[in-house]
Amino acid sequence: MISYYDWPGGREAMLRFGPATGPVVVAALPLFEEANRTRAFVVTVLRELAGRGIAGALPDLPGTGESLVPTSEVSIATMREAFAAVPGDYTIAIRSGTLLDAGERKARWHLAPQSGADLTRELDRIRTLGGGSDFGGNAISEALLAELADAMPAEAEISSRPISALWRRAEPDNDPVLAALLADDIAAWVRRCEG
Amino acid sequence: MLEVENTVRGVLRDVLGLNEARAAAFTEATPLFGALPELDSLAVAGVLTEIEDRLGILIEDDEVDGEMLETFGALTRFAASKALK
Repeated sequence: MISYYDWPGGREAMLRFGPATGPVVVAALPLFEEANRTRAFVVTVLRELAGRGIAGALPDLPGTGESLVPTSEVSIATMREAFAAVPGDYTIAIRSGTLLDAGERKARWHLAPQSGADLTRELDRIRTLGGGSDFGGNAISEALLAELADAMPAEAEISSRPISALWRRAEPDNDPVLAALLADDIAAWVRRCEG
Repeated sequence: MLEVENTVRGVLRDVLGLNEARAAAFTEATPLFGALPELDSLAVAGVLTEIEDRLGILIEDDEVDGEMLETFGALTRFAASKALK
């Protein structure tokens, strides 16, 4: 279901899954290209979670998805501020989404977290190989790159499940079997946290 | 060397989304960059980073040129020169 959330800088869309009551798990996609490659997979995880009775939300952060804010004008700080404003008790984040995982939450769960320094190195490579103007089609400001340099994932429970690098697929792909396994892990973790 | 070759084959299969049979058919002379439509510059970045992760090596961007990406054999030799030294 398409819904909305308000943050101090405006209003953005989000996908909402599962029951209207009980704990809500808010998901953060990776930044830039990897967001396209993992979106369908994360939506599958959230649908599987809903099937286990746990509500989920996938917000479009400013500068991503349906947001009208140009990518070149966002900062890590504004994306974190927007993510923090999405109502929810728990967070899940994948890759560089872990850098955006902010706000008052009961607990956080991360899959294959990536540091800002590692992402910066990949972005440099993408720009170099692509001829030097943008980053594989993304216009990214110098200010954001400077923020990224020392950005670190939030403290979280880190998934120990071995996974293939879905986020490096040249064409976005999905893995419904893995999504169901991760939904089992996340549902058990939420129930453990809820006591 | 065979281990490196299998790693590079697996990376190309996974990153480019090739089926098992197509990846298994790669030989030393199989042309890559310019011959595989899936392998654009963004995919090259993904292939190199994934090879780094799986082999535990570091590839400098100024080492990346058309020659090392020309064939499956060339890419495997490059990766092996990094991994086996």
